[in-house]
Amino acid sequence: MNGRDFTFEPNAKTVGQMQVLAGIGAATLVAGLFFAPQRIWPNLLLVSYYLLGLALAGMAWIAIQYVSGAHWSTALRRVPEAMAGVLPLAAIGILSVLILHPSLYSWTGGVHVEGDAPGFKLMWLSLPFFRIRAVVYLLGWLGFAWAMLRLSRQQDSDGELSHTRRSTALAALFLVFFGVTFWLASFDWIMSLEPEWYSTIFGFYNFAGAFLSGLATLALLLVWLQRHSALKTVIREQHVHDVGKLLFAFSTFWAYLWFSQYMLIWYANLPEETVYYVRRLHGFWQPLFVLNLFLNWVVPFFALLPRMNKQRAGILVRVSIVLLVGRWLDLYLMIMPPFSGGKPRIGIWEIGLVAGLVGVFGLGFFAALRRAPLVPVRDPYLAESLHYHA
Amino acid sequence: MSKRLLVGVFESEDDTLAAIRASRQRGFKVVDVYAPYAVHGVEEAMGLAPSRLPWVVFALGVLGGGLKVWFEFWTTAVDWPVNVGGKPFNSLPAFVPVTFEVMVLFAAVGAVLSFFFVCRLYPAKRAVLPVAGVTDNRFAVVLEETDSTFDPAEVGKMFEKLHAVQVDEQITGEVA
Repeated sequence: MNGRDFTFEPNAKTVGQMQVLAGIGAATLVAGLFFAPQRIWPNLLLVSYYLLGLALAGMAWIAIQYVSGAHWSTALRRVPEAMAGVLPLAAIGILSVLILHPSLYSWTGGVHVEGDAPGFKLMWLSLPFFRIRAVVYLLGWLGFAWAMLRLSRQQDSDGELSHTRRSTALAALFLVFFGVTFWLASFDWIMSLEPEWYSTIFGFYNFAGAFLSGLATLALLLVWLQRHSALKTVIREQHVHDVGKLLFAFSTFWAYLWFSQYMLIWYANLPEETVYYVRRLHGFWQPLFVLNLFLNWVVPFFALLPRMNKQRAGILVRVSIVLLVGRWLDLYLMIMPPFSGGKPRIGIWEIGLVAGLVGVFGLGFFAALRRAPLVPVRDPYLAESLHYHA
Repeated sequence: MSKRLLVGVFESEDDTLAAIRASRQRGFKVVDVYAPYAVHGVEEAMGLAPSRLPWVVFALGVLGGGLKVWFEFWTTAVDWPVNVGGKPFNSLPAFVPVTFEVMVLFAAVGAVLSFFFVCRLYPAKRAVLPVAGVTDNRFAVVLEETDSTFDPAEVGKMFEKLHAVQVDEQITGEVA
């Protein structure tokens, strides 16, 4: 096969829809900065972090496939690569919050210095160090993404196995770096919104959520590309089935961590820890709290339990949409309670920015996907992936 | 009741798959296929119905989880209530980890035992093989001679055309 058969051109209508959604997001953001800044900043953090999770899930997916020597997914690799391509957009979103509106973090107005290690907490939660860390995380991720995508595209022209070897080495390094930095980033950007509270498993839980949303996005994109692009002849039922299995497994993994965090805090019953859940289990927060577990685990678990359902594109699409809504709700519950004045508020600002999230992701994804053939045309393991038989 | 079986022995998985497909196409009953390793696509070629094992495993998981919740409730809240940190006797979140483990235990062990039961396997059972080579480098397709229209010679020729290295007729009550 040659590269020209696999160029990607999204249809103008879809691009137009994405532009409209991105425009709605931008308009909401600008209007929000004037009319409801206290609502718009935490929401901007939410959608930026959501987008970041999708991009990093794409990177983690690629890295895991390289490190584990998985060849079944080689033919699909351009899709997670294009997901990783939205990383710069997510970085812009995150940095704009940290640079323009750090007062979102209440500790910037003075750190709460009780607890085990007040000196360490004072040092860790200082604005310059906080910003330096953010830049280090983001530059590190961007550097890895740039290097790995470049190697993959170079292979399109020469087909050298050495690119795969180097990507594998880079992938191993990335996974170590990502494991540490994403953990810390979730502590910095999300957990420190309530600086008096802490949970060691929080970073792991955030990874589970991000990777799960990434898998749901991947499933949606694969089904869409199967219908609307040259990947029609490449994606087999077995590929879709495997993504379905991963969705099922990671949904359960998410629930496992969700419950681990909840149960340890419930069991120990220490006031400085339970405050987090007390806030989320009262009033109108409670139904959302329960809904979160349903959207992210109960519905996907039972929907995907029968083997047949993991192979059906229609069911995967529905489950993925449920999971993506669930991811938003999960982040909403992590971020919003300190800002929402006692009760959850979901209105024009939230919906507008979510529209922007979809639009920005769509446009960024299409732009990244157009930059290279839809399949890694000269990857030495492509043939194995094309004839994949579970 | 004894059965008359026709065994075609092959040297490659492609020939084996071709023989299965050809046999089914001509309406013969493929009783079983023997291979030294798992061959992709055999189930589809044989037209096997989806396994019912998942249902058994699901039922066992529900049973194990249910029994465990009941047992923990009974021990901690009914038979010998103990006050742990002022929590209610019937503290469901605390039961979840063990319930999960027992559910997995029932489902996993039950899956293996059900599989043995369905295949009539037990320790020290003597292997029933149509030809000895299937544990080494040979593949065997076993057909049942269902009625008088089944002509072993003709089917044997069909197998030979598909590169069979050996065609055997066997009468047995045990194979498959």
